[in-house]
Amino acid sequence: MRPDERKGVVATRRDQFPVGMRVLAVDDDPVCLKVLETLLLRCQYHVSTTNQAAIALKMLRENRDMFDLVISDVHMPDMDGFKLLELVGLEMDLPVIMLSVNGETKTVMKGITHGACDYLLKPVRIEELRNIWQHVVRRKFSTRDRASLDIYEECNKPSNADSDHAHGHVTCGSPDQSGRPSKKRKEYYSEEEDEGEEDNTQETDDPSAPKKPRVVWSVELHRKFVAAVNQLGIDKAVPKRILELMNVEKLTRENVASHLQKYRLYLKRLSAVASQQVSIVAALGGRDPFLHMGAFEGLQGYQAFTSSAALSSFTPHGLLNSPRNNPAVFGTQRVSASKSIQTVTGGHALNHSICDANKYHLSSPGNQQGNLGQGMATSLGQTQMQPKWIHEETDDLSTIFSGNGLANSGMSATLQGVTSSPLLPQELVECTQVKVGSQPSVLTPSVSSGRLEGTVGVSSSLLDSRVSQQTTIPLSGFSASGLPIHGLFNNSCATKLGATSSVSTPVHPSNDLLVARDTKAGASSFGSTMLLPPDTEQKYLNFGGGNSFKHKFDERTADSLFDLKFVWSSSLSSQLASNIGAHHSVSQRWNNSSSNNSNIGARMIGQPSSSASTVEPHAKSDFLISGDMLVPKNASDLSVPKPQSELSSSSCSFDGLLNSIIKVEKDDVSFSDDLGCSDFYSLGACI
Amino acid sequence: MAAALTSQLHALVNNMFATGLLDDQFQQLQMLQDFSAPDFVSEVVTLFCDDGERIIGELARELDKPNVDFDRVDSFAHQLKGSSASVGAQKVKNTCIQFREFCQQRSRDGCLKTLDLVRTEFYDLRNKFQAMLQLEQQIQACYPKH
Repeated sequence: MRPDERKGVVATRRDQFPVGMRVLAVDDDPVCLKVLETLLLRCQYHVSTTNQAAIALKMLRENRDMFDLVISDVHMPDMDGFKLLELVGLEMDLPVIMLSVNGETKTVMKGITHGACDYLLKPVRIEELRNIWQHVVRRKFSTRDRASLDIYEECNKPSNADSDHAHGHVTCGSPDQSGRPSKKRKEYYSEEEDEGEEDNTQETDDPSAPKKPRVVWSVELHRKFVAAVNQLGIDKAVPKRILELMNVEKLTRENVASHLQKYRLYLKRLSAVASQQVSIVAALGGRDPFLHMGAFEGLQGYQAFTSSAALSSFTPHGLLNSPRNNPAVFGTQRVSASKSIQTVTGGHALNHSICDANKYHLSSPGNQQGNLGQGMATSLGQTQMQPKWIHEETDDLSTIFSGNGLANSGMSATLQGVTSSPLLPQELVECTQVKVGSQPSVLTPSVSSGRLEGTVGVSSSLLDSRVSQQTTIPLSGFSASGLPIHGLFNNSCATKLGATSSVSTPVHPSNDLLVARDTKAGASSFGSTMLLPPDTEQKYLNFGGGNSFKHKFDERTADSLFDLKFVWSSSLSSQLASNIGAHHSVSQRWNNSSSNNSNIGARMIGQPSSSASTVEPHAKSDFLISGDMLVPKNASDLSVPKPQSELSSSSCSFDGLLNSIIKVEKDDVSFSDDLGCSDFYSLGACI
Repeated sequence: MAAALTSQLHALVNNMFATGLLDDQFQQLQMLQDFSAPDFVSEVVTLFCDDGERIIGELARELDKPNVDFDRVDSFAHQLKGSSASVGAQKVKNTCIQFREFCQQRSRDGCLKTLDLVRTEFYDLRNKFQAMLQLEQQIQACYPKH
């Protein structure tokens, strides 16, 4: 949509929106089309119709500024409605509503995952059509937050509509639209100044832009574009380089920049859709501690995406059916697959992000080497959870949440673990320090009867908001001493942390750490953050059993099974934000925190304590959180020696990639650096 | 004259609702017809009758082929289902649903059998629609345009 033109429309119909909203209706069935047209006209929209998808596409391409919304039938002989949907989503920033007489969940899901902003069933009722303008507003809201403020000021708070909409209606209202777009945008700009300028020219309604000759992005041209982006890596793909790689005559940098921008928006929109169901992020951790992932944005910071064909599935056709199990997608090291499940219940977001195979580089005194780590960080937060099941259909990550939780965001709770390993990296775990710090009252489980076999003792008491845990673990003890190891963390005595904590909350997390079978070495850490119901003020329970076992994983450890079981029992229906991580070769720490800006993220802190291991783990986790009995179970199988299989198992799929935001930011406030941890990552599922 | 025709028309339409030929979608269409779209219902009905006949013809042709392309058959049936749903032709729609089930079972006999049903329902409705349109025309003829 051409900005200046929309401005005109808005100006003339300023007080009448959505009257005159320009809708293109596409249906091959003349009866349906006629009815639809009349209905739309009755809603006082400006309606154009066509009975062919190809014509519709042509119309849109030629006059892309002439439409605000597309309503398309799903089944059309000349072009599948989903195809049209894809193309429109890719080429134009228009909301598309799918329409079908077929309401099977599968079909509806297909529409939504292809980027449809709504899916209506025939026969459409006028009541439904009266409401479709919200998609236009939402789209504008999400893509041009400030530029079009004037539009949604008139429109009854689209964010409310959004959350209302999330109740049992298949839609794609994304949390970020109701969340804090400005912040995100800001960071986005700051990270990527070059692109930011592009954004700005696009979004500040540069009137000169639309006058330039339009490049029709044919499939072929787009394919070249995607190939170039893939080659460069989406994080490094700048228009100029893309242009060079594409080597197409008459294509200008501006064309490419514009298309890149749309492409990213497209990816982002897709991400917003799927993130409500299952979203998976594969994030590649580099050295850059300031990573902000927002859908595709997140990819920018990750270096390793430049490797191989990582982005091959970013082609428009591959987005939906991207190979969930494609093992070759990601590189071997520095690969972080993060899975984020986001469920919207009651208009709130429940984020669950799992990180696999992260490489964290933290600058700390001593030896610092990037290591491969794998972990899963699960963050449930900011949500008022209805009993809800989320099931990830992946081989190794099966997460089920069933929870009744009351959410209280606006917390800042951090759990930080630093492992420094000045000593023999492969044999000893030197020191694990856990710091649990929370602004409000924090109940931290004192780790009682933490027992690890052999000389491993995990015993932490949280005093002065610090858990320090120093263990020296000979590896042999680990394997020989008759695993499973039970580490029991029982915080029946609720220890208050910090001076501000004054609420004692009956939460009894108990941890079963079970390390089963012959593990030659294991590095595992899990940190959990439990958010307690808001009626007791702001309560966080940060509870981390930080175990760091150095692992040397080689092929022989293929059968090692690392099994983590967390059992939380809470007498309150509590919201649980938990991070569970299992990884090896790097002692790693997850922090799950919610900060005051309702940004819930899983903070991940890992300090590599030993030399990098090339073996990547395979993690399997099951969560079961139900009601006031929270039983997350994490069965981590650290045994998969091949990175590729590991990655496939961590279900890095592209839609997942796109769908997640990994937000990595530096936070100087939350942590004091007396632990020697200076960098950390925050992974926030903040879509 | 006009009053008699009008009551005849009402009786016909009411009967179509009562027998389940039509559902409230048709009422929706009726409500949509106003000064801005005075012939809306008749337009839609005419479209439906023509298009439905075409689709039924296509279905018969497809099922007559030695190797039935059931996907193609299904897409036609889907289209008929869509248009009958849009016009509120409840019975036709329901038989379309049945038809599609046989389609999914790849049952040619089932399809043929149900196609007869579809055809019966469709032509029954079409006859009534045509009677309805005829009545409307007669009524309009009684009120010459000024």
